[in-house]
Amino acid sequence: MVLFVTAIVFISTWGLKLGIDFTGGSLLEVKFGANKPNVIEVSDSVKDLKLNSLSVQPSENSFILRFQDSSEDVHQKVLVSLKKLNDGKNPVKAENKGTSTTVVATTGFEELNFTGIGPSIGQELQKKAISAIILVLIAISLYISYAFRKVSKPIASWKYGVATLIALFHDTVIVIGFFALLGKVWGVEVNTSFVAAVLTVLGFSVHDTIVVFDRIRENLPKSADNFEDTINRSVNQTLTRSINTSMTVMFVLMSIVLFGGSSIKYFALALFVGIFFGTYSSIFLASPLLVVWNNLKKKI
Amino acid sequence: MANVTKNYVTLPQVKDIPFRLGLDLQGGSQLIYEADVKSLPEAEKSTALEGVREVIERRINIFGVSEPVVQVNKTMSGSYRIIAELAGIKDVQEAIKMIGETPLLEFKEVSDKPLDTSSADAKKLTELNKLSTDQAKKVLAQAVKGDDFVALAKANNQAQSVGVGSDALTVGSENDGDLGWVTEDVNSELVKPVKFLAKGQVYKNIITTKTASHIVKLEDKRLRSDKKTMEYHLRDISFPIYTAADLAAVNSANDSNINWQSTQLTGKHLKRAVVNFNPNDGTPEVSLEFNDEGAKLFEQITTRNIGKQVAIFLDGYPISTPTVNEKITGGEASISGSFTAQEAKLLAQRLNTGALPVPISLVSQQTVGASLGQQSVDNSVRAGLIGLAIVALFMILFYRLPGLLSVFALVIYGFISLAIFKLWPVTMTLSGIAGFILSIGMAVDANILIFERLKEELRNGKDLSKAIEDGFSRAWPSIRDSNFTTMIVCFVLIEFSTSVIKGFAVTLLLGVIISMFTAIFVTRNFLKLMSNKWLTKYHWLITSVKNKKEVVPATELK
Repeated sequence: MVLFVTAIVFISTWGLKLGIDFTGGSLLEVKFGANKPNVIEVSDSVKDLKLNSLSVQPSENSFILRFQDSSEDVHQKVLVSLKKLNDGKNPVKAENKGTSTTVVATTGFEELNFTGIGPSIGQELQKKAISAIILVLIAISLYISYAFRKVSKPIASWKYGVATLIALFHDTVIVIGFFALLGKVWGVEVNTSFVAAVLTVLGFSVHDTIVVFDRIRENLPKSADNFEDTINRSVNQTLTRSINTSMTVMFVLMSIVLFGGSSIKYFALALFVGIFFGTYSSIFLASPLLVVWNNLKKKI
Repeated sequence: MANVTKNYVTLPQVKDIPFRLGLDLQGGSQLIYEADVKSLPEAEKSTALEGVREVIERRINIFGVSEPVVQVNKTMSGSYRIIAELAGIKDVQEAIKMIGETPLLEFKEVSDKPLDTSSADAKKLTELNKLSTDQAKKVLAQAVKGDDFVALAKANNQAQSVGVGSDALTVGSENDGDLGWVTEDVNSELVKPVKFLAKGQVYKNIITTKTASHIVKLEDKRLRSDKKTMEYHLRDISFPIYTAADLAAVNSANDSNINWQSTQLTGKHLKRAVVNFNPNDGTPEVSLEFNDEGAKLFEQITTRNIGKQVAIFLDGYPISTPTVNEKITGGEASISGSFTAQEAKLLAQRLNTGALPVPISLVSQQTVGASLGQQSVDNSVRAGLIGLAIVALFMILFYRLPGLLSVFALVIYGFISLAIFKLWPVTMTLSGIAGFILSIGMAVDANILIFERLKEELRNGKDLSKAIEDGFSRAWPSIRDSNFTTMIVCFVLIEFSTSVIKGFAVTLLLGVIISMFTAIFVTRNFLKLMSNKWLTKYHWLITSVKNKKEVVPATELK
């Protein structure tokens, strides 16, 4: 609960640092020759182009440039400037002067990757992402209401759906909050794969919730205990499974975070955080909610 | 499923099917264009877009990109996007330039200028004419010598009509060269040199007109009925003088030999092209409608090219070379030819895109260098393997024999999935691999659910085989429900997202479906294969949980 509130505070104060997938703009990654320029030299070399909100970030062997403009024209101009900078630092050795292709090969300049996204595309993607998440939440709740249609005592099946929805919402908020924190502290940007990660977390978290609910579904008709105790027993019965499952998945994710390619690292991290709290929420949130709801009904 | 497994095992060539790698793995570019179709009526939009898509695809093909993917997408906000994926392309800048050009439509006519003397055509022309005049000289010698003129005429005159001067004079029907009675006014070129000859004499020189070399015999001459003008009865043997235009006509089967010259008429003068069907015989035609300037130009072109071919060039290649039948005014024309309705539609589509170039603008591009892709793959595959090893270890330590069996099932699951990825084929992207790794986690989840249940049933005092049965059947509803929700998520992702996430969702979806099969069916059958007696004896292989009751050897052995 504390986490949930903290997450909301993070989101509302800092917000997510949106990647160019959503905002539009360019991301250019280039590799320089043996004599690498420093960050200031790189930014100076493209100063004349007056790029909007330019940021230069050194990476392991390369530099990552981000800027607002996304046209092909600007992209080419930036490349020309950077290449000039590189060729100045890594002059072609005399014996290699020959055809232009060998010259390119010797200076070591290489465009590793470029993404340019127009602002309209970015906005569209934002809308798409939000509607995808909402759609998934609704679809899952509906499915659960349907799957548990036979269990209407003591509480109606749609309440299982709503309890799941609340648990899922909780997970989503925590993951987003976590990335708001990462964005603030390390400048981690969220892109489309983050949306995929959030959606996958929803899928996983609902796995856990369903397993517990399934046990409740099985135990209720033959249970001599009251509702609260039945639920408590069901949660305990499935506890090992929930923890073990999450652990195996988290093993895999952990290894991706630690050893995987840079482009899916944050994707895996989002999943890791989400699945951890997903397990937590299905045990400590979704099922107790049912009990609270039931007690509430009794009082009224 | 069994089918796929069988394919994988028995067909050795399956090994040769490579994974289809996405752009992020093999390097390449994804270009997204926005097509501006606001100015078009709704009905023509899809045709125009299909045309643009096709043009882009053809342009990309010039670059030798393997299996380019070009799709038209309608966005939620109602604008149209054309997404081009160029795998493994080297020069993206050049590709962007090529794609961005609007299709170039030109009308060309046959050049009547002498061809370049250095060209093969010019050489051929000289040769042909030399042959023709040589033959004329030979025949003249024979005619002057007194050989039968009619026989010579029949042997040498060609069946075609011979246009002489402004009046088209046709050679006699039997090719005997009889021109009939003509006056000097009608055909001065032939009459003038021969009018002073005696009746029955052959003119001693070759008479050269614009189109042919003539040998002429004056058969007879007389005063016309008006008593003023003379008329002459001529017989003629003609040898054609070939021009570039004739050569073009001769070679019309072979377009490349024609010396096409540009007219000013281009695609910008075309209002639109539609497919029509000839009301008489029902053959498909493509009707063209020009704007005012184009109509004027077209009229001029057709006026000077009656009986000749004009060509419609698209992006530098002739796509149609109709023959002009008459002068065309009013800015409307139709191209008829021996094409099918499908071809006519295609042509109209191409003309429309040339004429109504839906302006496209590059709104997004993503280029991944091949080296970066390779590094990512290597890292991710390694990470996946490490993760799997840890999972396998965990499963074996925690669940003992069933855990080991589930690892076997997992390996089978891996083989089936990879086979399907290859055979389908599923495009493997980085996120696709992540989806695959994740689906392994879900496959393991199903087994954990079953084994936990198995332990529980044992605790409740069931004997081993019953506990195994119940473990599977009781765990099923939760496996089913949880996997169904995952599938729901996958469907949403496939429907709503960009290609990168789509890859993730597709592999995850396939993985979940396959894992339901392997985790339940395969693991269960492995467990059943074990002798029940043997399992009961070595109970510790399954779990440390002891039956509350005395362990009774099961009677019903499977």
